[in-house]
Amino acid sequence: MAVTQKGAILAADEGTEKGILNFIKQALSQGCFDAVLIPVRVPTGDSFAYFLVQNEAFLEGASPLSPIMPVQGARVISSLTRRGKGKKRIAAIMRPCEVRATIELAKLGQVDLENIILITVDCPGVIPLSDYFEDPTKGDEVFKDASQNWNSKPMRPVCRICDKFFATGGEDLHIGKLGTNSGSILLIPHSSKGESILNKLGISLKEDISGWEAKVNKLTEERKQERKQVNDALREDIEGIDRLVETFSACINCHNCMRVCPICYCRQCNFDSDNMKFTFEDYITRARARGRLMIPTDTLLFHIGRMLHMSLSCVSCGMCEDACPMAIPVAQIFTVVGDKNQEAFDYVPGRTMDEPLPLTTFDEQEFLEVEQSYAGVSAKQEDQDD
Amino acid sequence: MTKALRIYKSSEEGLKELLKFLLENGKVKGVLTLSKMGEYGAISYSLITNPDDIDSTLPLFPLMPVNLGKQLSRLTLMEPATDPIAVVLRPCELRAFVELVKRNQGSLENFLFISSTCGGVYPLEMAVAGDIEEQLAQYWESVEQGELIPDVRPACKACTYFVPYNSDITLSLLGTKNIDEQSVLFLNTDKGESFVEGISGQFGEEELDSAAVEQIRNKRQAEKQKLYDEVETKSLGIDDLTKTFSRCIDCHNCSKVCPVCYCHMCFFDTEESEYGPVHYETELEKMGYVSMLSDTVFYHLVRLFHVSASCVGCGLCADVCPANIPLWALSLKTGEAVQKAFDYLPGKDIEEGIPITTFKPEEFAGVE
Repeated sequence: MAVTQKGAILAADEGTEKGILNFIKQALSQGCFDAVLIPVRVPTGDSFAYFLVQNEAFLEGASPLSPIMPVQGARVISSLTRRGKGKKRIAAIMRPCEVRATIELAKLGQVDLENIILITVDCPGVIPLSDYFEDPTKGDEVFKDASQNWNSKPMRPVCRICDKFFATGGEDLHIGKLGTNSGSILLIPHSSKGESILNKLGISLKEDISGWEAKVNKLTEERKQERKQVNDALREDIEGIDRLVETFSACINCHNCMRVCPICYCRQCNFDSDNMKFTFEDYITRARARGRLMIPTDTLLFHIGRMLHMSLSCVSCGMCEDACPMAIPVAQIFTVVGDKNQEAFDYVPGRTMDEPLPLTTFDEQEFLEVEQSYAGVSAKQEDQDD
Repeated sequence: MTKALRIYKSSEEGLKELLKFLLENGKVKGVLTLSKMGEYGAISYSLITNPDDIDSTLPLFPLMPVNLGKQLSRLTLMEPATDPIAVVLRPCELRAFVELVKRNQGSLENFLFISSTCGGVYPLEMAVAGDIEEQLAQYWESVEQGELIPDVRPACKACTYFVPYNSDITLSLLGTKNIDEQSVLFLNTDKGESFVEGISGQFGEEELDSAAVEQIRNKRQAEKQKLYDEVETKSLGIDDLTKTFSRCIDCHNCSKVCPVCYCHMCFFDTEESEYGPVHYETELEKMGYVSMLSDTVFYHLVRLFHVSASCVGCGLCADVCPANIPLWALSLKTGEAVQKAFDYLPGKDIEEGIPITTFKPEEFAGVE
């Protein structure tokens, strides 16, 4: 975060959500963008869906801080722009992890960001879908209360340890709430796109954002420590092949974690393809080798394969866990692995478009220690072969 | 009268003895049944080749982590089973497999099907919460008494096809006295009879207690009506459907676990059903807004259209739905209507063609 950065304070007398909506409406009517992508409460009132809204009147039911995340926003932007950008400029109001996933998808060629303006809000987390759907009215209450007090307890387990709940740099405009007065919100542009919106609206950047930054930094530090503790504890439970097998033994191979994951963009997963179809002879041979073969087969292989493919880009949004019928803590496990892998490459998924995906870049000086230890192994191997 | 075998051990132990006998004597080369994975692991299906592993199986545990019919299709999609395999499965799983075989998605060859009169299974979320074990005593008591079992899947409470079709061996459980002391196994086919030859037990001729079966069927029928009313499936017009599916998150997991949805790739996951920006922008111009979750009702309608003639009412779709949509009721109710119209019961008769592949000139003359 740039030290000299300035922001703008906007009044939000009727609460944060209303304040954000007023700003969005104003920007929409002034032609800062042509349409808004935003969570809207569905007509039955018991869930939310992303709506693309052009007519201001339809923003009434919109909820920039919806209590749940039924679909990851990055997936939505991908379906919107995967086949090319549209003519309209769209402002997407999303959670920071959705924006980060969107940026990862843009790097993977699954999103066209040219006509998209990414707007994030300080995120208090979201309630797990199962908790919310049990009683949506109560869910609304619980979320309202918890988000106002910045209480992460009722949120998704990965939200509780999220250390990137604020702007990470990839968004065009961030709306801060932490450290501001109760009746106001803070606008912080991060790109020329974001700045031009504020210019057009005649909003000048003169507010010092250090109050917001201080709060964010303090909470981030707390969350980082908590994240480490939680990750370490979970690692104990899942480390080693036996524990890993047991952890995933409840898996029913439905692949729903992959299906809702914003990063897993393959139209057909290898694990659903002909590559994973075997003859009966194969199955019985595998069963004989150990005396028994779990059916469905290859569930652990699927999770490890998925991990290998997406953990560098995993934004720990928690969708996978919410969608798992067997309540396997998939998101928490992937967070443990993702954090480690991302740290190894000094990579923060979705931080900025400028950072290329680690697997697409080659650094000659990278991982020399791995190379060296491998060199040792292969030298030994050659000795033995001789 | 049907040939029957009585083993004087509890139903679970008797069944395990049978499975062990089959494996030890080389009558089968593998057994497919439920067992627990490791000390902390979950209960799942396994293909077991080592007779010693039978001791730790749980063939009657009231849980269906996956529909085994679908898994049998996966096992035999490329070639039939190369060796005889005993499969312990529930009536709806066997019916689902028969439907898949009719669609050329597997082969019945070399399988010995062992099923039972079925009390139903608990929802997956109860397995997750670890709440099933403490219910087991009550489960088996209700099974023995032929009573409705509280807390099983709603689809199971409403199931009237609890007597298996096409099983070589049927273990009598529902409304059967002393199931904790003896196993009553009906040998429905010559295959069933020949496989058990040589096992120690009492052979004779018996009949399923048809009065008890009828009574249970009536109770389930009444329960089904009650459950239908609860989920408000009365009219199922477009308003109702929009309301019912308002929470759908478009994950398609119902299709993924459905034993009848066998398409390698669902139409709704293909490029065909993807929109480009032009579509969204046209809608925007027309309406002023557009939902990015717009095709969910369409998806469910098409799915119902495709599977309803073959829906066996296993209830797995509802169990895996992250939005708790009572899909089982919609599938079952639609299925019943479609199956009645074609006088077709999915999975009953392997020789009977699926309705959409058969043409009768005199059919639906009224509609025409």
